[in-house]
Amino acid sequence: MSSPAKLIRRLGVFVALLALIVVMLGLRLVDFQVVRAAEIQQESMKARSVLNTLTALRGQIVDSQDQVLARTVFRYDVNVAPKNVGPVFKTVDGVKIELSVEQITRELAAILGLPFEEIAPKLIGDSEYANIAKKVNADIYNQIRDLGIPWVYTDTFSDRLYPDGAVAGNVIGFVGADGTPLAGLELQYNPCLAGVDGQEAFERSPDGVRIPSSTITTQPTEDGGTLKLTIDSNLQFFAQQVMADTVNDTGAKWASAIVMEAKTGRVLAAAEAPSVDPNDPAGVEAADRGSRIFQTAFEPGSIMKSLTAAMVVDTGTADEFDTRPAPDYMKLDFAGGSIKDSFDHEEYKLTLAGVLRYSSNTGISNFGIDIPSETRYKYLEKFGFGTESEIHFEGESSGILHPYKTWDKMTNYATMFGQGISVTTIQMASAYQAIANGGVRLDPVLVDSCTKSDGTVVQVAPQSSTRVVKESTADLTLELMEKVVEFGGVGKTAQIPGYRVGGKTGTAQLQEGTGYGSQYAISFYGIAPIEDPEFIVGVSIYKPIGASNSAGTTAPFKAIMQQVLKTYRVPPSTTKSRNIPSNKFGLADAPN
Amino acid sequence: MAVFMVSQSEAKRLRPNLMAGVIFIAGIIGVYIAILVLNMVLTQDAYHLRELKIQQRNLATQVQIIQEEVDSLGSPQNLADAANRLGMVANPASVLLDIEKDKVFGSPKPADPSKVTLASGNLVPNSVMGTTSEFSAATVASTEVDEGVAPLVSGGSEVVLASGLIPASPTR
Repeated sequence: MSSPAKLIRRLGVFVALLALIVVMLGLRLVDFQVVRAAEIQQESMKARSVLNTLTALRGQIVDSQDQVLARTVFRYDVNVAPKNVGPVFKTVDGVKIELSVEQITRELAAILGLPFEEIAPKLIGDSEYANIAKKVNADIYNQIRDLGIPWVYTDTFSDRLYPDGAVAGNVIGFVGADGTPLAGLELQYNPCLAGVDGQEAFERSPDGVRIPSSTITTQPTEDGGTLKLTIDSNLQFFAQQVMADTVNDTGAKWASAIVMEAKTGRVLAAAEAPSVDPNDPAGVEAADRGSRIFQTAFEPGSIMKSLTAAMVVDTGTADEFDTRPAPDYMKLDFAGGSIKDSFDHEEYKLTLAGVLRYSSNTGISNFGIDIPSETRYKYLEKFGFGTESEIHFEGESSGILHPYKTWDKMTNYATMFGQGISVTTIQMASAYQAIANGGVRLDPVLVDSCTKSDGTVVQVAPQSSTRVVKESTADLTLELMEKVVEFGGVGKTAQIPGYRVGGKTGTAQLQEGTGYGSQYAISFYGIAPIEDPEFIVGVSIYKPIGASNSAGTTAPFKAIMQQVLKTYRVPPSTTKSRNIPSNKFGLADAPN
Repeated sequence: MAVFMVSQSEAKRLRPNLMAGVIFIAGIIGVYIAILVLNMVLTQDAYHLRELKIQQRNLATQVQIIQEEVDSLGSPQNLADAANRLGMVANPASVLLDIEKDKVFGSPKPADPSKVTLASGNLVPNSVMGTTSEFSAATVASTEVDEGVAPLVSGGSEVVLASGLIPASPTR
């Protein structure tokens, strides 16, 4: 029989052992929960948790009517795991059928539009990855998914789609295969368009289901903003059609047309030919992928004369009745200096309107030379020449306007009729805008606003204005330009029935080596309606085959201006032009 | 530690209450069942959520497919081609009616295909124009508007066409 003392000893041993076990478990617990806690937790999280990058969607580019010109879409790469390739069992209408690898391959080939022979070899091997098609659209993706083949899988990525193709393609620009913006507004306005990628972490069960309430968003996604342009895509399309037609007809290297709103400086169309389809920029030569309207400067030629005429009027040098002699050839007061008109004629006596009507180089020189070169230079600066336009397009050219102090004696004359100076189309359109807008030049606008994904609207830049010439000067200059369209040899073909139109032709000989060659850049810049100017349309054609005057430019000008007036419901003019002298004797012709 | 010897009656008194034990055990089981049910509901919801997300993704894909079709049909290139197939000619001469001032601007002239300076076909490339309008002059002729609309005779209007009538719009 055991004594109570023995019982107590045994119990003591038991309790001690129990205590030891508790202490050991406790130590282990401390080890797991405290000492190695972080490490273990990390390991466990690794097994369950997923870190996901939430790709921000690049914003849209829309035209002035909110028509989408660029959007982000999803595209899919179709891949297989050759290691797992094998027949697939499917139950169709309760009947279990076996699809052989060959059958599946034929179905894939049919969906992807690829030859069977191209896909079949890619399915052989031990690897876990082989790509069979890249960048397929959502429709094909759906068909592939519906096949339900376990060893075919897809990778989704976002891609850029330009639904209207080459409409405004030259200004919109494009992105690279990896989504990097490479040109145009896509590049210039990347900070607006690109979003900020987000990141989320969550845990999931072995079968891939997300464990509820485990999501931690470490960085919220911010989608890109919407970039709104001033471009009217329908008008833009029309102008591009006209330009493409012009290049086809004239065999020119390129042609461009710009439409600007007179009272706002907004660019409604910036059309070029050849044009680039941003969906396939490689489809055209590298030189045709940018926007020449902003990036290419050339000597404008006679379209500059309207601006020189405005300077003559503004400085009080002459009015619409004053005349100057205009021979077809004129020797200048320095060795080797001479100026020629584009056609032979007896000596004319021309008013400013006459100078524009006959596009006389000698005539404009005899008017303009009375203005000091410094004054003319300052006017040219205020018209916007010599500096990039306020649009600051990607890779924009500032043209060339040499300081007046460096002008040689010939340049001093040549700048009056558009030589010795090079300008971009946007600069010239902006200068004409000043004339059309009562002498006040407004910063040209191509991008209206950027609307962030949260709805805040950011105006791109405040518009500033510069008074270039007096309002009376601008109004008179318009009347002078009207005589070009009323009576000018080529200008007459720019007439639009029902509307008062003013404009100026330009035939600039292009430099070849050190002198001028036999090729031309021909232009026509016009404004309508003259009594209350609404629009400026400028057309330039570069190196048209066989053309030595600006006749090729008036038909496209007329087509575009007519379309603009129709689109914006501008009522026909109800007033008549003033009877200003413009003939070769310095007298007025009977109105047409 | 000490062990105490007690009498039988005392032991009976000290024995734990059976009822309390049952309630305690039942409580624990109850809590476990509640946790289990809650977990099941949550898990079910997780699966339901996953299903809905898949559905959402599929619908988003569907939207994208349709959007691309609409984009393509709405592109100016498709519209120009379709209009051209129908034999439509753009009329550069416009006539505007000012309803408020009761005034007509311009004189109407029929469009003359031979005088349109534009090439008729589309010249602006668009490599993503996948879906195009199917109608043509032939298909539209078969759905011609019926003769229910009589041409309106212009009652002393300033607008005078060659025929002396303003053609009525087929829109009703």
